[in-house]
Order: sequence, then C-alpha cells, then structure tokens
Amino acid sequence: MNGNRVDLGLIIGGPQGGGIESAGQITVRTLMSKGYDVYGTREYHSNITGAHSYFNLRARSDIARSVKLPVDFLIALDAESVFTHINDVKKKGFFVYDSGTSSTKIDKIAPMPKPLKVRVKEKLSKLGLGDTVADAVRYIENKDVKVVGVPIRELLKETAKRSGLSVVSVARVANTIGLAAAFALIGIEREHIEKAITLYFAGKEKAIKPNIVAVETTYDYIKDNFKLGNPLPNGPYQGKLRMVINGNDVVAMGKIAGGLTLQTYYPITPAADEALYLESYRTVEPTDEAKEKLGLDKVGTLVIQTEDEISAIGMAIGAALAGARVATTTSGPGFSLMNEMVSMAVIMEVPLVVTIWQRAGPSTGMATRNGQQDLLISLFSGHGDTPKIVLSSGDHVEAFYDSIRALNWAEKFQTPVIHLVDKMLSGSLKSIDPPDPTKIKIERGKFLREVDGKYNRFTITEDGISPRAPLGVAKQMISSLVHNEYGMVTEDPLLRNQMTEKMLKKIESIEKEISESERYSVYGDPDSDILLISWGTNKGPILDAIEKLAGDGIKVKFFQIRTFKPFPAKALTEAMDSSKVIIGVESNILEQMRMITRMNILRDIPHMIVKYTGRTMYEQEIYFGVKEILEKGSRKVVVSDGA
Amino acid sequence: MVRNWIEYRTDAWVQWCPGCGNYGILTAIYKAFAELDLDPKETVVVSGIGCSSRIPYYINVSGVHTLHGRPIPVATGIKLANPRLNVVVHSGDGDLLGIGMAHFVALGRRNVDLTVILHDNAVYGLTKGQAGPTLPAWLRTKALRAPNYQDAVEPVLIALASGYTFIARSYAYHAEKLKEIIKEAIEHKGSSLVQVLQPCPTYNNIMTPKWYEERIYYINEKYPEYDPIVKVPGERDKKIAEILDKFYKDSDKIPLGILLKDISKDTFEDRIEKIIPGYLKNPPGLRYTDLDGKSLIRPKDVFKDRIVKA
Ligand SMILES: Cc1ncc(C[n+]2csc(CCOP(=O)(O)OP(=O)(O)O)c2C)c(N)n1
Ligand code: SF4
Ligand SMILES: [Mg+2]
Repeated sequence: MNGNRVDLGLIIGGPQGGGIESAGQITVRTLMSKGYDVYGTREYHSNITGAHSYFNLRARSDIARSVKLPVDFLIALDAESVFTHINDVKKKGFFVYDSGTSSTKIDKIAPMPKPLKVRVKEKLSKLGLGDTVADAVRYIENKDVKVVGVPIRELLKETAKRSGLSVVSVARVANTIGLAAAFALIGIEREHIEKAITLYFAGKEKAIKPNIVAVETTYDYIKDNFKLGNPLPNGPYQGKLRMVINGNDVVAMGKIAGGLTLQTYYPITPAADEALYLESYRTVEPTDEAKEKLGLDKVGTLVIQTEDEISAIGMAIGAALAGARVATTTSGPGFSLMNEMVSMAVIMEVPLVVTIWQRAGPSTGMATRNGQQDLLISLFSGHGDTPKIVLSSGDHVEAFYDSIRALNWAEKFQTPVIHLVDKMLSGSLKSIDPPDPTKIKIERGKFLREVDGKYNRFTITEDGISPRAPLGVAKQMISSLVHNEYGMVTEDPLLRNQMTEKMLKKIESIEKEISESERYSVYGDPDSDILLISWGTNKGPILDAIEKLAGDGIKVKFFQIRTFKPFPAKALTEAMDSSKVIIGVESNILEQMRMITRMNILRDIPHMIVKYTGRTMYEQEIYFGVKEILEKGSRKVVVSDGA
Repeated sequence: MVRNWIEYRTDAWVQWCPGCGNYGILTAIYKAFAELDLDPKETVVVSGIGCSSRIPYYINVSGVHTLHGRPIPVATGIKLANPRLNVVVHSGDGDLLGIGMAHFVALGRRNVDLTVILHDNAVYGLTKGQAGPTLPAWLRTKALRAPNYQDAVEPVLIALASGYTFIARSYAYHAEKLKEIIKEAIEHKGSSLVQVLQPCPTYNNIMTPKWYEERIYYINEKYPEYDPIVKVPGERDKKIAEILDKFYKDSDKIPLGILLKDISKDTFEDRIEKIIPGYLKNPPGLRYTDLDGKSLIRPKDVFKDRIVKA
C-alpha cells in the first residue's frame, strides 16, 4: 500500500466442505463493500469433504486481476492450513489462526498429503522446532510475521451467549470469527463484513443474526486484546452496482445473453457448474422491448444432462439441425470422447459451440487443478480434414463476450467453434461491472426461417457457406458421408473435390471475416523490444507482472493470442520481428502455443516460462521469470509456486 | 390414404444385396408413412452406420445419416429442439445394441416421443459379417473364423427394463404386418422400439427365412386374450412378469407383435414443459434468439443473485 492505493492479498484456508466457500464469498463482498476491485482464485482437491482448500484473494483500489504470494494476511481455519501456508505471508503481515489448534501434531492430520508433511517437517526441524501448530507458529513469527491466535471456541461460546442460542447452533459461524479477526486487525470496518453477510445470506434470515453477533464479538475481542487496525482508505467502487461472478457463471450468462436456446452436458469438473448455473436460469424475464415486440413473456433455455459426452455433442448437433442455437460444455476427458462428433459436425456443417474447461491432464490427471493442455487437441480434434474455430478467453469479462462471439461464429460459418477456458477461470471470483450484451450484435448468419420449393442444404457458394434452413422448414438430407449439394451420398471423385473445396472456401471466409484485430490484444509498452506472448488466464498475472517490471524500469510488451484458428499471423509476425527478447508463457509442458506459433508463422519463441503444477500462474513468477531470462538468457524457466 | 406410397420413394439406387430383409422394412415404411400421411418436410429419418442405416437415402422425407451407434442422441436433439417433427430412427443390431447401447438405454429412461426401428440381422453386415450382439452363442455364421463365443443380448428385455413405452417385434418378410406395427409405434406418444428380425442372406446363413419361420408366432393369434396396454404406472411390473411368463418360457419360439404399450408415462417433452413452462410453444429450435440482433436479456436485471451494491 502506498498513498491511497490499496493492494491487499489474503488467503483463507480450511477443510473442503467446511464452509470455506461461504467464507470466500463473504470476504469478496466485504472487500467490494469497502470499494475495492476483487479477484480471487480457489484451490481444492478432487474431494467432497475434509481435504485442504483455500481462496487466494486480492483487493485493489484500481483493478484486481491476479493473486500474489506471499500475501498480506492469512486466515487459517484449521491446523492443516497453518502447516500448508507456513511460508505464504510476507514480512509484517498477519497470520490469524485458531489458538485452540496449538497442540495439534502434523502427523495427526489425516487428509494432509505426505510429501507436503515431509517438506514442512524438514523446514521446522532445521530451526530445531517440533511438529505441532505451536511450532509452526514460532516458525512463522521468526519470519517477522505477526501471528494472532484467536480462541475460536471461546468466541463461539460468547457469540452463543450474546445471541441467546446454543453453542451447537452457532458452530457454523466459526469461519466468520476467523474472517472478522483478520479484518479487524488490518483495518476494515465492521459495517462492511456485516453488509457482506446480509448480502450473502439474503433469503436465509436465520443465518444472518448469529453471523453478525459473531462479528461484533470478534471485533470486541480484537479491540480488547490486540488493537483494531487503522481504517484503510476506501476504494473508488463504493456505492456502485457491481456483480461478483466466477468464470462458470459468466460463461453461462454470456450464453443466455447471446441467444443460446439449448445446452447439453455430461457432468465433469470444472465444466458442470456452468451448466448448473445455466439450468437455474432456464426461464428468465426478457427485456420490456423483447416482451412487447416479440410477444415473449419468458425466455427459456433447455439444459439436458446426457448419458455421456458422445450423447452430449450428438444431441447438441441434432438440436442445431432443427434450428436451435446450441452449445455443449466439457473438459479434456469429455472432449476426447466427443472427437468423432466434431468431425461429423464439420462435414454436416453444423453450428456448434464446445466450451472446454481445461484442467490438468493427461487422463483424469488432477481434476480440480489448472492447466492449458488442450490447445493441440482443440485445434486438431476430429479425424479427416476438419476446419474449426478455436478461441480462448483471458479473463471473466472476455469470457462473457467470447461466449456470444463463439455462438455468432458457429452460426455464421456453420462449423464447430471451440471456446477454451480453464479451471482457473471457472473457480475464480471477480468483481465486475454488469456486462452489456448489446455491445455485440447477435448474428445467425445465413439462417432461413422459410424456403420456397426445392432446397439444397449444401449449395456451393462464393464464400463456401450455404443458406441454412433447419429441419422442418425444408426437406433435406444431412449426411456424415461425402455428399452432393442436396446431401445425397456420393463417391464421385470430382464431386468429392468440389465439396471438399467448398470447405476450403469456408476456411478462407473465416480468415477473411474474422479481422486480425479480433484475434489478439496487445498490452504494455508498444515500443518495447521485450515481448511476452501468452494466452488464456495467464493474462492477469502477466499484466500485473509487467506493471511491476515497469516499476523497475523494465518495459515489456504483451501479446495475448485470443484466437488460435484463425491465427493472428500478421500481427504476431510483426511483433516478433520487431522484438529482441521473446518470451512465451503457458501452463503445459509440451509448450503447445510455441508449437502452434512455429506451425503458423515459422517463428520460434526462444524463451519460455512454463508451469504445470496444476496451480494458477502468479504475478511474481512471471516477474522473476522475465528477470531470470533477461539476466541469464535461460531457455526455459519452470515455475511452481502455490500450495 | 392421402398420399400414395410411391411418393416416399427416391431415385437413389437401393444398394442392398438381392433378397436382403431390409427391402421388406423399406416397403413397410413407405406404406406406413403414406397411410399416416406424414408430411415429408416435417418427418425426419435418422440412422447410424451399417447396411440398414443407408435407409434415409431411399425415403423421400428429411434424412440424417449420422455415425455408427449415434442416431439416438442426434434424433433426440432434433425432437427436443422441435417437438412438432416426426422422428424415426433406423439402426442395426451392432449400431443400437453394440456401440450405441448406452443411448438405447438412455432413450427408454427419457421416453422421448421417437420411434426406433431395429434392423436385426444378428451380424455386422456392412463390415462383412462379424457377429452382432444378437447372434446366439456358439453359432458360426459364414464369415466367422470361430463359433460365436459371446452371449446374445435380448433387446426386448433391455427395452422393458429401460422404460420404453412401446415395444414390439416383427419380421421383415411380413411387410403388411410390419407396416401395421410401425404405424402404431409412430402414433404412440413416447419412446417406441420395433425390433425387426431381418434375414441377411449374404452373411447370416444360419438365421435364414426358414430358420425364422420355424420359430416365429404372433402373440395375438396364440394368446388372443393378451392385452399389452399399461394404463397406470403400477401395472407395468405386472405386465413385465406376464411377458416373461408367457413369451419367454419356450426359448425355441419367437413371439411377434406388440408386447407392451404403456400409456401411463409422460413423454420427455411433457416433463420439460413442467420445468420450463412455455417450452412446447417456443421450443429451442423455433424460439427467437434476439431482437434484430439485440440480446433478449439484460444481465443486471436477470442474474440478481450475483449483484452487489458495493
Ligand atoms: C466408430 C466406428 N467403428 C466402426 C465402424 C465400422 N462399422 C461400420 S458398420 C458396422 C457394423 C454394422 O452392423 P449393424 O449395425 O448391425 O448394421 P448392418 O450393417 O448389419 O445393418 C461397423 C462396425 C464405424 N463406421 N465407426
Ligand atoms: S450384407 Fe446382409 S444386411 Fe447387408 S445388404 Fe447384404 S444382405 Fe442386407
Ligand atoms: Mg446388423
């Protein structure tokens, strides 16, 4: 924090299923009430209850778009969180923990992964410390961090007394006590957390009172035993109407706003929550104008849970053939199953959006962890020559508008569009201004609602795209076999050539009509000769890192690839040719973006910063990675921060 | 009869082998469609991959020739996007009961208003005669290198267990009776299965017309008192017990006709209408997606659970 600029990083850790989700949601709303922009990632195991889970959140008075490590304060809601995050708070920061856990031994924590226990015990024993929480606390204090033990059980009793309820019935507010203690220490006024509680528990009035009493009790305790922090300056967003969403929500919102009428899915992490959010809005209120002019009183979206991913994509294709505006959502394993159908959608010229929430592979890999490993399969999915469009979103706001763009492109070019997003985006929370779908026109391309006389679904045209009447509007033949303009199967070599060349014309139309400027974004210093190239959710940490590098006098330009097909060939070639140091950043081990760049523009990205721990990319990893490459000329920097 | 069945023919060359049972099924379809007066524009035949799945090219209605095993998902998508269409699936035994079995079961659970016609020749015709999922164990048909050492599945029993609400079996060479059953299947509201025993003279040299004709009998002739209709949900299990008791005791005989007609269950479309009121009036394939390119909604007015007045 310098001057009035606030930049706070915090971690809240606790057991999965133990209210950590609510704790995170309340924290975000508290910081928003204080007027800050907020971004937060969520890490969790592939587990329902018990395993360690945490939010890493960041609040800034300007824009929050990545998380940092170490953080300014940390709330450990259980013993495992103390051990796990032993190194995660910076000097002079606060480490709040439940003093009731002091005597807990690390080996008694069943869910904690063994390799991590070994690493932590090693650190402790190096300082001659034992293996209890109290020892870990001494270790943390040694690093000049202010550790505050909060007697959660006693404060629960006090909360029960003050609210006239039993201790058992207020047990659920334990997390709120942890949060309140931290907020009291760093200087966030009580009213903000109270407002957050009221907002978050709206409709569940019974939950509000004990939480509010717990806040009051905890602030009193901190005031009496430590010292309330000096109030931090308020942020500029106070009083504004904002939204707090995660990536799953915002893609579902984009799809509904973008005119989606049917979505299919088979449950898979981290895609399912998108479909569930969509389903909870399966009927929504249209604008007054739409009500009046179209006579619609409700807008309905059908979400179908299918028997597997093959059926998910198959049903979506069938629905598109009958005129629906469709999408299906999945992750790597599901997309592997969909491949044969991607190829079918290409030959049948079906407008279809496949949203892929990438996670850490190969195979089942780490289902709840991050990765950018599905670029190659997206580009090369489907057997045979199969042109498609592949775009990737860098943050929540992009994901909203990209969801609409993807639907438009699918219908305009009548081919599958693969929208790459990832686990990072899916679970991370972000405060945003409500998005405005009128910024993007909804397009349906050559969609026909009426046809006179005989109709050929696959008429050869200048641009390779045929007028498309759905089933029911015109009698037609749709075939997965090579077919003529009507759709009738053929094995004639010359007709086969004509129809295949029709596909080539379509690729040319895609190249022509999706302008270069829609394929990439450039940030940072345009005149710099240090170039960072990346894609997807590395965007936030990169933007923060280049800001930090600029503070050190190192000017960097950042080229974000937004569509891989069509590829921003011209712009990237120019950017690379005018740079001296070129560094790629991505979250996979094969350096897939580097491969695709070479394939498209015959240029190599000589330096790479890569991460494949399954965790988010951090600002400081890129900051130090760039520095290392500048100083030592390293070919590849592998980064691995984060628990 | 409003349309002549000739109108449902196309000028494509029908490329099945001489004597193939598929011809009988095709003739029955022409006549059933004609007698039901199905509008070619509003009728869609969806098939998988196999000899039998070539059928859409030969019927003058809309056709969708999909992938091996996958006609049901595609047909389901079509029907749910536009419930006003008549949708008929044609699928081989390998297509429906081998690679596509998961979809066959799932359709029964949903009871979408579709008709599935199973062309059951007990072999994989198009890939030159390998054993199909309905080929009885230890038979060795012409193209097999060893006797079939996998057991057969029984589609009728799977359909009963999965929830199909119309289940019938017929024989490809009895085109007139087959036509009547197909008509009733199409008119039934819900998922229908018509298993058609279909001789494949090229690869199935054991289950020949003679083989079938020694075994088949018609339920309504042998058991005139049998009533396949289920009117209330609780009756279904009793009906299944009766079917097992009556028709499965004698394993050498094959009953033909309508085994079950369950009118006690909602179709999937009616169930969707319950959770999305207005669905049938404005289904996904027909409803507006925008107002002259403008979104029909405003996120800040709709997604209220995510609003924070900071
Ligand atoms: C994914 C896939 N695997 C295998 C095939 C090859 N194949 C084509 S038809 C067929 C079997 C057809 O048997 P059936 O469904 O019984 O139809 P029939 O030819 O007997 O009418 C197979 C295995 C394919 N087309 N696609
Ligand atoms: S191989 Fe058999 S099923 Fe296929 S067309 Fe010939 S006779 Fe008919
Ligand atoms: Mg067969």
